[in-house]
Amino acid sequence: MTATEGSVCNPEEGCITCGDIAVVLTVTSVAGSDAHCIDLQGRQEWVAVELVGAVEPGERLLVHARVALELLGPVTEG
Amino acid sequence: MRFADEYRDSELAEMLGRQITSLCEPGRHYKIMEVCGGHTHTIYRYGVQDHLPEAIELVHGPGCPVCVIPMGRVDDGIAIAERDGVILTCFGDMMRVPGGRGSFLEANARGADIRMVYSPLDALRIARQNPDRQVVFFAIGFETTTPSTALTIKRAARDELDNFSVFCNHITINPPLKAILDAPDLELDAFIGPGHVSTVIGCRTYEWIPRDYGLPLVVSGFEPLDLLQSAYMIMKQFSEGRAEVENQYARLVPYDGNPTALAICDDVFTLRPFFEWRGLGSIPNSALQLSEKYAKFDAEKRFALPGLRVEDPKACQCGEVLKGVLKPWECKVFGTACTPESPIGTCMVSSEGACAAYYNYGQYARERLTLEVLQ
Repeated sequence: MTATEGSVCNPEEGCITCGDIAVVLTVTSVAGSDAHCIDLQGRQEWVAVELVGAVEPGERLLVHARVALELLGPVTEG
Repeated sequence: MRFADEYRDSELAEMLGRQITSLCEPGRHYKIMEVCGGHTHTIYRYGVQDHLPEAIELVHGPGCPVCVIPMGRVDDGIAIAERDGVILTCFGDMMRVPGGRGSFLEANARGADIRMVYSPLDALRIARQNPDRQVVFFAIGFETTTPSTALTIKRAARDELDNFSVFCNHITINPPLKAILDAPDLELDAFIGPGHVSTVIGCRTYEWIPRDYGLPLVVSGFEPLDLLQSAYMIMKQFSEGRAEVENQYARLVPYDGNPTALAICDDVFTLRPFFEWRGLGSIPNSALQLSEKYAKFDAEKRFALPGLRVEDPKACQCGEVLKGVLKPWECKVFGTACTPESPIGTCMVSSEGACAAYYNYGQYARERLTLEVLQ
């Protein structure tokens, strides 16, 4: 399973490991231990989900280096 | 709050700044170290220090992984990459880190095949696409990144890949904090703890800091208001005579971290007895190596490495900057011989390194601007 053209390594924008950068993505579909996800700008990528357990479309993940670190709760208003 | 802009509201920042000022004890100076390179970047990019009273000094810590990688490990990576049939992969910032024999970029120019990847999983994909080549991932990073490497190694083992290995330089956050606290040349009052590292290891792991050293630590998010609120929480602890671990970043950080990620890391890695940190020297139990169970994916066992210890350039004062003893602009070569375009020291390489962040966003840029206006 390969990633789509979502996040790429671009040191000019900051290195994901040096900046301790993680992003919140929303699951659109699931295939085995990978989930297809999308961010608010419409960028898509496949994410490994072994570290967070079963996920479903619509759920939000905290993702670092194409690996989900946390399953986040639903968005709350206000 | 839901959107990033709401964490950058200048009126709220001013209000928090006033509340922080009101908690300062007259005549007292507070030194607060932000551990994480991402925090350093935010502080300079958004001028967070400008919202704090003069009594509070933010000190930049060792939380940028490429800033603390010793030159000898860069040379070892180049030695691997120069072998016939090898593809070395690494994160983007590693490409420009100077070693004793130049950087990965320069090794590429000499003919080595070193490729930038966004994830260790991308390195695994390259290995599958190149079954006749040995693909090595130069693994680097704190506990945020370690689980992604562990997961990649487990997938390589599951798929029985024999052309993939990892040159492991993963480091852990607690040992350097203890080394800094035990150093005689820096007296700190509190820590702003790392955000996404703590999604993995949690907050409980820092409780030794208030217990053994009497210092508060507040785990913080990465937006300007996150950092100001963390400073407020620290000052609130001082004003109430408390020293505790608190979690400002509770919207993403569970207090006990991610147990599944920790278990996978424990399975794949073991602690190295010692690891050399640039500027901090050799720190016991501060880095990881592959466990015996996954030894076949260990590049240090697969390839013979020089393993040389290379001294930093004499002019470079990254060590003092990493310990917070010197400010970036106090280094002898800052902004002259050492710039982001031509770094001598690692702190000038990554945009999260204290020197590069200060060079790009900080006082140095403002001074340059003033000079241009005067001319």
